[in-house]
Amino acid sequence: MTDRRAFLRGASVLLGSASLGQVMAAFAAGPRKPTFFSESDLELLRTLVDVILPATDSPAASAADTHYFIDLAIPACATPAAQKTFRAGLAAFGTGYAKLTPTEQVAKLKARADKDIELGYEQSFFKILKDYTLVGYFLSEIGATQALAYIRVPGGYQGDLPLAPNQKAWAI
Amino acid sequence: MTAANTFDAIVVGSGMSGGWAAKELTEKGLKTLVLERGRNIRHVVDYTTALKDPWQLPHNNRATTADKAAQPIQSTLYLYDQSTKGMFVDDNKYGYEQAQPFNWYRGYHVGGRSLMWSRHVFRYSDIDFGANGREGIGIDWPIRYADIAPWYSHVERFIGASGDNPKLPQLPEQILQPPFEMNALEKHLRARMEKAFTDRKLICSSVAVLSREHNGRGPCQGRDQCARGCPYSAYFSSNGVTLPAAAATGNLTLQPDSVVHSLIYDEGKSRVTGVRVVDVNTLKTTEYFARVVFMCASTLNSTGILLNTRSARFPNGLGNDSGELGHNLMDHHNGGGATASFPGLKDRYYRGRRATSMYIPRFRNVTNREEKFLRGYGYEVYTSRGSWTRGVDSPEFGADFKNEITRPGGWNLYTEGYGETLPYHDNRIWLSHDKPDQWGIPRLNISMSYRANEHAMAQQMKDDAVEILQASGFENVQGFNRPVTPGSVIHEMGTARMGRDPKTSVLNSHNQIHAVPNVFVTDGSCMVSSPTQNPSLTYMALTARAVDHAVAQMKAGAI
Repeated sequence: MTDRRAFLRGASVLLGSASLGQVMAAFAAGPRKPTFFSESDLELLRTLVDVILPATDSPAASAADTHYFIDLAIPACATPAAQKTFRAGLAAFGTGYAKLTPTEQVAKLKARADKDIELGYEQSFFKILKDYTLVGYFLSEIGATQALAYIRVPGGYQGDLPLAPNQKAWAI
Repeated sequence: MTAANTFDAIVVGSGMSGGWAAKELTEKGLKTLVLERGRNIRHVVDYTTALKDPWQLPHNNRATTADKAAQPIQSTLYLYDQSTKGMFVDDNKYGYEQAQPFNWYRGYHVGGRSLMWSRHVFRYSDIDFGANGREGIGIDWPIRYADIAPWYSHVERFIGASGDNPKLPQLPEQILQPPFEMNALEKHLRARMEKAFTDRKLICSSVAVLSREHNGRGPCQGRDQCARGCPYSAYFSSNGVTLPAAAATGNLTLQPDSVVHSLIYDEGKSRVTGVRVVDVNTLKTTEYFARVVFMCASTLNSTGILLNTRSARFPNGLGNDSGELGHNLMDHHNGGGATASFPGLKDRYYRGRRATSMYIPRFRNVTNREEKFLRGYGYEVYTSRGSWTRGVDSPEFGADFKNEITRPGGWNLYTEGYGETLPYHDNRIWLSHDKPDQWGIPRLNISMSYRANEHAMAQQMKDDAVEILQASGFENVQGFNRPVTPGSVIHEMGTARMGRDPKTSVLNSHNQIHAVPNVFVTDGSCMVSSPTQNPSLTYMALTARAVDHAVAQMKAGAI
């Protein structure tokens, strides 16, 4: 058997692998461009994700580039039917949404939510938007580590602890 | 026959059973060739996603529509995501026929499903080994607990496992490290349920996950990302435990990318002399020779290779004098269970991700005889406090919503039963000779269905789960009894059963083909019934036991 230190060395090899560096390099490469949606759709998405998850004691969804996550994930992960619903939903929101007052923005999204929540997922713009916004934000580095609690390698399991003051929920 | 192609032993498959065959054979001094149809996955260094954060994986670990198109069956598994998809086969490349729907979840690589298994390792008892004979179902197991008990111990000592020993006749005592801790809700459930039902216990499952260091491995670091491969070697896999032990002997030759087409049968000697191997990449066929062959290619594939080994002596597949080869396919069923929430314990939480379940051992047909069905089931129980995911389906949004879902939600519980399936002769596999795969090997056709006994059991699984949770102070108790596609529990077993009588079985009590004694089948194919508990520990123990017998017979000159 290889000894324990060798396995821990193995773990450190994996930790040092390229992925994080690649992610950082991507951010450093300059202003991001949308790949699937138009610039104006992306601006609308930026507004929408922040209406859903605004800045609180943790940053807003757009601070974690959730709108860019949606731009990459919708074409890759959503079914053609869901993509169609999503595009139509964005178009129906129109271009003026970002210019509405915060109260008006909430009211308009709430009206959409009330209507859409009864629909099946693939027919519901709100459900798809909510799904991708939450996955995009809460599994981002900012969302997981600032809005929530995240430990990559917890080091073990403690099953029954008192809830700490202001304890955030575990991201995963 | 060249020296380079000749070994003392050949093992077909490198997973749960093949790894054990390799370790035991090489440690007994046999030069052993292990053939693996898939790619090599080296321990630790090839676990490329193991330590990735969600945001370091494509689409925050969400599978794409292209992934699902390439892996339409594999992607339906609860484990499947960006971090694990590489552990599962491309369904379109490795097709099979489904005379009835069958979900065949597979990993074709060194280590097989020992890399992605759920790690539960309970022993079977004489309640299990005696059931068929007692009830006149199928055929009797040719072994009893006393035959396998020392081999369970042998395996447990080496692999390292943790859990409770509940001291129940249906769960024989094991060699276990201390269990992982229960959380507050599990402690509550244990106390309330055990007070309300004297025949029911809640225990931490026996799992091949180390709660303490063991032979330089582990302990578990609480990641609960086992199926990516464990850089801490904290759970048992062939890659991390048995294959390194085999390699350390100097007697192991591990050869990936090698599909076994069939075995080579010598009519004059009445023995198998070797195997025919197709190189995955070059399609070149090469023959390898050995005195003894261990079939550990997984239940359906081991039997498929035997069916594809035809000769004048065995026109219907090697060792198939009984006509039972390919028949009596089983899997567990897990359609019945319940979900619930719990109103209290808001001041308790946990830290880390526990890579185990809680377990309610079988309590039906243990001491009493149920009227509605034979055999029984155990429950896996999972509990947690609500996470951000509870916000996905809600119509809410905004600052208050965000504050709410970023704090621990109420406690939730999910449980499902894992039930025994009886052996039915017409649940079976056969070769589709008109549909060869790209290596010229006929594809398998699979036909399996659950029957009245399983359906009656599933209803009771639901009812018992509801009853337990209602009696234990839970709210919103919702029972379910969902249809299950066979294969979905990934405990496919049977198709080359053991038995005492060559007229009704393929293998003898040492997993040896009755009429071809230098071929041993020690994976799930050998199973005679499908006892409630998870089967892998039994495959490992039977494999070690069979190697011991094989080597003794080789020394005696019998094979």
